[in-house]
Amino acid sequence: MSKPSPEVYEQGKGMDAHNQVMRRIRAEKEETYDPHEPTRVWLDEDNTPGGVFQSLTIILNTGGCRWARAGGCTMCGYVAESVEGGSVSHEALMDQIEVCLDHEAENADEPSDLIKIYTSGSFLDEREVGAKTRRAIAETFADRERIVVESLPDFVDREKVGEFTRHGLDTDVAIGLETATDRVRHDCVNKYFDFADFEDACAEAVAADEAAGDDEGDAGVKAYLLMKPPFLSEPEALADMKSSVRRCSAVDGCHTVSMNPCNVQRYTMVDELFFQGGYRPPWLWSVADVLESTADCDAIVVSDPVGHGSDRGAHNCGECDDRVQTAIKDFDVRQDPSVFEQVSCDCELTWAAVIERETSYNMPLAR
Amino acid sequence: MTDYFEVLERDGAARLAELRLTEPVTTPALVDDHVDDAGSLWRAERELPDGDESRLTVLPHRGLPAGTADEVADSFAVDYPTVDYPSAAVVSADTAADHGADAYVVSDASGSLGHGAGMRDLVLAVREAIPDDTGLYLSGVATPRNVATLAYAGVDLFDTSRAYVRGTEGRYLTTDDAYFLEDLDEFPCACPACAKPREEFGREDCAAHNVNALEAELRRVRRRIRDGRLRDYIEGQARQDQWLTALMRELDQQYGYLEERTPVYRGADLDAATEDTIRRAEIQRFAERVTTRYRSRFDDHPLVLVPCSAAKPYSESQSHRQYMDAIQFRGHIVSMTSPIGVVPQELETTYPAQHYDSVVTGRWNADEVEFVSEVLRRYLERSDYPRIVAHVPDDYRPIIERIEDDLDAPVEYTVADHPTTSESLGNLRDALAGESAYSKREREHNTVRALADVQLGDGAGDELFESFRTTSRYPKLQVRDDDGEQLATQVPSYGTLAFTLEGARRWDESDAPTKRVEIDGFVPHGSVLAPGVVDADEDIRVGDEVVVEGPAAYAIGRAQMHGAAMVESTRGEAASVRHVEEM
Repeated sequence: MSKPSPEVYEQGKGMDAHNQVMRRIRAEKEETYDPHEPTRVWLDEDNTPGGVFQSLTIILNTGGCRWARAGGCTMCGYVAESVEGGSVSHEALMDQIEVCLDHEAENADEPSDLIKIYTSGSFLDEREVGAKTRRAIAETFADRERIVVESLPDFVDREKVGEFTRHGLDTDVAIGLETATDRVRHDCVNKYFDFADFEDACAEAVAADEAAGDDEGDAGVKAYLLMKPPFLSEPEALADMKSSVRRCSAVDGCHTVSMNPCNVQRYTMVDELFFQGGYRPPWLWSVADVLESTADCDAIVVSDPVGHGSDRGAHNCGECDDRVQTAIKDFDVRQDPSVFEQVSCDCELTWAAVIERETSYNMPLAR
Repeated sequence: MTDYFEVLERDGAARLAELRLTEPVTTPALVDDHVDDAGSLWRAERELPDGDESRLTVLPHRGLPAGTADEVADSFAVDYPTVDYPSAAVVSADTAADHGADAYVVSDASGSLGHGAGMRDLVLAVREAIPDDTGLYLSGVATPRNVATLAYAGVDLFDTSRAYVRGTEGRYLTTDDAYFLEDLDEFPCACPACAKPREEFGREDCAAHNVNALEAELRRVRRRIRDGRLRDYIEGQARQDQWLTALMRELDQQYGYLEERTPVYRGADLDAATEDTIRRAEIQRFAERVTTRYRSRFDDHPLVLVPCSAAKPYSESQSHRQYMDAIQFRGHIVSMTSPIGVVPQELETTYPAQHYDSVVTGRWNADEVEFVSEVLRRYLERSDYPRIVAHVPDDYRPIIERIEDDLDAPVEYTVADHPTTSESLGNLRDALAGESAYSKREREHNTVRALADVQLGDGAGDELFESFRTTSRYPKLQVRDDDGEQLATQVPSYGTLAFTLEGARRWDESDAPTKRVEIDGFVPHGSVLAPGVVDADEDIRVGDEVVVEGPAAYAIGRAQMHGAAMVESTRGEAASVRHVEEM
């Protein structure tokens, strides 16, 4: 019989296993995509430190996430939407931007003040988006108020951020931190950077901000958190998010936290668990609870539950999902926790029982 | 080592056991109030708790939910520490192994809810991987409807979580259904929660009722295990949900798992009231032994097939007395019966031949006809009767006709309308006219040999009892050697032989397979406890005669566990000792 050991957790071994499984799962997908079309583009409304703006969200197809090619995150199926093979040329990427501008022109009365660019990888990674393309995109949106670009913390440096602020754009680097708990990020999400790396990236954004002149834009970080990765029970996921929101909010430079419930995407480990009955997306009550209980934080805290009310998205009982979703969206804009006093449902009793009773050896306790 | 869990009684795969906390818990039971969870290692590094003899501590774990890939399970495997307090280790169906804990929690069980084959695979995989005298705990799974069948499968520990949560969802659970609370005008229950006026009864009350109903069902399960009657309940209860019936039937397909855990006899009667009774381990085992171990020593006489009787043993029934009166020991009486198959006269007291009670309507279903007819065919393959007289009513004829073409002798039917009319009995008497009768001595000797065949193995009757004599009266025959030394006694209530030390030696020295328990150097009095067992034959079943031998003693007794459990267990009575001799 072995003795208790602090070495139960082995980074390399767990990562290899997760990657091996995720590679196998991802290999099942067969679609390929046109490198001249963005993965997705849509119009929305967002709360930022500069106010509530109409937003144009662009998911650039940059050839996909390099980490996902190694295996990647256990819940992420976006790589399945990326282009076959490797990198996408400057011309193709600029064609994608053109498609997005056309979409905006057709569907919005006026240009969006906020531009959000995601890549299912790192926009600031020059192996995905070259310096020339990055600068051209900054140029393209120079007339807007604010821009969000997604990146892993490794690639955040003050010079790259400065390329956007110098156009007068308030610039947010969106970082998929997922959780402030390194152990959960590593073992459940299979994402390999530490909270310290996130803090360093925030420091780069602060440096960029300080370097920017008065007529230039501000710089900051928007942290993306993932509620309920696989292997966590509902109460563990809830506690993890409450502490993560607070820890992010306390980091200088991190002015916004977007806390999003995990949804079940195809070709992921989460999907396999879901199919076999070993995973349930979080309750919308859990999302509401995190937002309500962290409303006193300095950072703006928002959430955008994807596929809310469906089996594969955050959901409650089916009766109240739309009402709770509305309250969450309302909170996103107003940051007023009293919005949650307006909604209630019989299923809160079930949710409370799940929070009290669910463990990692009996989940999910309710569908 | 299992220090805090002890199996007290067994009923097939189900067990009545004691979780030996400061205040002991008799299982199968709900253990919510007795469990401390040291926490998940997915979320955080955990301190090993100090533990406490009053609580079952779930050691720090990484639960693997249903659908976890093998690679992930392997690389995140947890090394469980050895602790000196009651502990449970979290495993999954695929990763279950002996970690030295008192109980094992199966993290992927809820994924198999609703799937008979899946749940069977899960329970068997874990049960076979962990020591017999450890508790199997399924958390978040039990409902009033499913818990009896899960306990029957071999699960020991449950909790209230699913029943409670379903109540909060407005589902009113009973042993027969999961009602929508709003559909119920009155409650089919009189528990304290249900005493509330209907209009005031809310979901929290519903959850409280569900927990009460679950607790009541577990009390029934414990009673049934004590009585050796859980299967008889399950055959009815599992009907309340398709997947539970599937689970029961899937388990019946795992004959090895159930047979190993099924006693060779029970004090309790066996209800043959459903079409599933035929697949019980007891029934299958008897048919198998009759057709592979038993040897007919009367097959120089005509075979007389007769219908079974409600009274047991058959020879004490009105009808059989009339048949015997007509036969006058000129034919070998073999009773045909559903669901047992065929019962040669020497085995009429052997479990379960005198312990079953079936529903008799004269209408046989196809499974029964096929089963009895197959057993009869196999029985006749091993014997060589010169004549076959079938003294059976019309509803038995299709069973015989089904195999008539395979038989060497023609079948002579003697029943005109009913087997006990004077015409029928006269036909029977006439059919045997001129046949010679066998003696009482032959009858008694062959009975002893037949019991030995069935109990000990093919050929055992001849190996052990070539030369002997009997005293006392059937069905309590005493078996003695030629010098008058007693070797064994027929146990009338189960139709087995109970050996003396002298009989044990004869058995041990014979070529017949001996069931042996090897013990440490002590002299057992009354019982042999599991820690004292060094080794035991795998084919030992509860109730079997066993030779117990160690450096200090030679004894004969009766198994209280199956062989594998004797070897694996660190607690509990392995065998009761009848006679012992110091060496």
